Amino acid sequence: MINVENVTKTFGKHEVLRGITTTVERGEVVAVIGPSGSGKSTFLRCLNLLETPTEGRITIDGTVVTDPATNIVRFRQRIGMVFQHFNLFPHMSVIDNIMFAPMKVKGLSREEARAKAAALLERVGLADKADSFPSRLSGGQKQRIAIARSLAMDPEIMLFDEPTSALDPEMVKEVLEVLRGLASSGMTMLIVTHEMKFAREAADTIYFLDDGRLIEQAPPAQFFERPQSERAQRFLERVL
Amino acid sequence: MNLYKKLCARSMLAVLLLLAVASLAGTGLQSIGLQAGTATAAGSDACPGKPLVMGTSPDYPPYENTDAKNGGDIVGLDIDIAKSIAAKLGCKLEITGMDFNGLIAALQTNRVDFVMSGMSVTDERKQSVDFSDTYYAARNTIVSKKKNAYETLEQLDGKRVGVQLGSTQENAVAGLKDATIKKLNRIPDLIQEIKSNRIDAAIVEDAVALDAIVANPDLAITMLPAENAQEGYAIAFPKGSALTPAFNEALQDMDASGEKQAIVEKWFGKHEAVTAGKHTIDFSTLNGYTSYILRGVFVTLLFTIVSALLGFIWGTVLSLFKLSTVKPLVWFATVYTSVFRGTPLLLQLVLIYYATPQLTGYDIPPLMAAGLAFGLNSAAYLSETIRGGIMAVDRGQREAAMALGIPYRTMMISIIFPQAVKNILPALVNECVALIKESSLVSVIGVTDLLRRASVVQAANYRALEPLLFVGAIYYVLVLILTSLARLLERRLRRSD
Repeated sequence: MINVENVTKTFGKHEVLRGITTTVERGEVVAVIGPSGSGKSTFLRCLNLLETPTEGRITIDGTVVTDPATNIVRFRQRIGMVFQHFNLFPHMSVIDNIMFAPMKVKGLSREEARAKAAALLERVGLADKADSFPSRLSGGQKQRIAIARSLAMDPEIMLFDEPTSALDPEMVKEVLEVLRGLASSGMTMLIVTHEMKFAREAADTIYFLDDGRLIEQAPPAQFFERPQSERAQRFLERVL
Repeated sequence: MNLYKKLCARSMLAVLLLLAVASLAGTGLQSIGLQAGTATAAGSDACPGKPLVMGTSPDYPPYENTDAKNGGDIVGLDIDIAKSIAAKLGCKLEITGMDFNGLIAALQTNRVDFVMSGMSVTDERKQSVDFSDTYYAARNTIVSKKKNAYETLEQLDGKRVGVQLGSTQENAVAGLKDATIKKLNRIPDLIQEIKSNRIDAAIVEDAVALDAIVANPDLAITMLPAENAQEGYAIAFPKGSALTPAFNEALQDMDASGEKQAIVEKWFGKHEAVTAGKHTIDFSTLNGYTSYILRGVFVTLLFTIVSALLGFIWGTVLSLFKLSTVKPLVWFATVYTSVFRGTPLLLQLVLIYYATPQLTGYDIPPLMAAGLAFGLNSAAYLSETIRGGIMAVDRGQREAAMALGIPYRTMMISIIFPQAVKNILPALVNECVALIKESSLVSVIGVTDLLRRASVVQAANYRALEPLLFVGAIYYVLVLILTSLARLLERRLRRSD
């Protein structure tokens, strides 16, 4: 479904991605792990063109998204993204946050959008917070709303950029619960994370990035039991 | 960049609409404030198909002044004579008020057909314009405080003496020895200078001086001997105007029939129009003028709203230019801001007012020129404020909107802008407060705003402090109302915190 061919990204002289090539199948759940500064987030952000790759080609469902002629705004509507710092719209209530894009972008009526938002709030367990403002929510609640907001656009792919890194420890679980539910529903997902236990349990594939390269790509059992590269071994020694 | 273009086109449209509203309002106000028309059949030889336009400086009662107590028309001796002549020629008359200093220029550029404004014939003026026969000869008087009154011109040697700039009284003081001569634009200002002890006496012509001392019982006048009769007041025309002989004939008719004498008697000795003040500050002298002044609130507010909206919309567009990746737009916005912040607002105002008709042929109404100048100037400042506000919005907001596939324009309008405005609201209120107060500058191009009305009333009743204090209080109240409204708005915007 996602085809990445030799993607590089440089910021000035700094090479962040040094040629990444991989394929993600429909329904596959990928956990992207690696040391800080290894290019995990940049890789994820290249997939929906929040960062434009310096070189290389990304094809999603046959559409070459790195082609300048592609309507990237319309294309992004098919890919949801959840950020480390939630990025909820602070001047809108929770339900308005969720309803905004479906109404403004997809042209849903207010009633349709509201029904959809209510169902999603139910799904992330926050139906009672519909009319609250984001400033009234805990970090875990904010992140669950952010997930609901992305899902409201019916994306085919979901990208998660360190979704639990900014949370207090006791809130990590509630967010991971939602991710697990989503993974088992068959959503194609890429998750940049430091939660090794979660990666091991929920992911189909582990991507291990280091210094801008995709060093290892394997099922969790294989990766965590018998890492091939020396770098992955050292990394796992440190984090486990 | 299509989105940019669309955004710009919409904003331009909004600006044009605003200007249209301003110009409509401008013409509307003019017909309330500045023009008096006498309806007679148009279309004689003197005025083929259009009204005769008369220029005058309505701050010189009883010759001409704005009748602030009744509707704000321009009235006076000169006006009555002009109406009578226009009627004799079978013409419609239209009266335009402007500063005395601008009258000759108005004749030379044919903005007016003739000028009657208590204007004396001088050799200097004769080089630029034609004059009719003199229609009235006034005598000079010395106005001073009662407790040091002066009997003769010679007694003014070594004193501080005031005259009106550009008046014939300048000649009268030319022979004084060692006297300090102070020349001011308007007679009411001279009177105020005497009361403030900044000058010892002023040379003023008789009819005007009489009004002034009725309003100010602490002043006294001494009549000076009559000068030769050629030095009286006359009607001025553009060089070579065909109107000059026709007007002379009409003046002779009025002389012969006694009509002119009747008009002179009607206006001289009509001092009941002026209220005598009993105290140093006596607000009863404002009786009858308050509604005229209060109508200035409407002008000031309209002007402030038009320029604030124009400034905000155009400033927003400029701030988007500055944040854009298209280099020419960035350069344009940067140069624009630098020029409009780097030159005085008053200069921009006067330039727009005078240059527009000269460059485009469009006779821009004063209120519209003012709204344009203030809006364009304010936009330069606001563009920086708004740019700062947009940049202060968290980057993540933009990324979240982009990730949801929200188009640029929707993102700016619904996501980024509301948060930016909330951040910069105090700065926006500052700008509006500044606009309300700076609006007083527009009186220089003849917009009858609050401050202009105060000076009109000062011209009519020769009391400076009362009208000034009164409009000062009005400005203060306006600013107070504005800031309270802003506080309410801010509280509403902060409800999400």
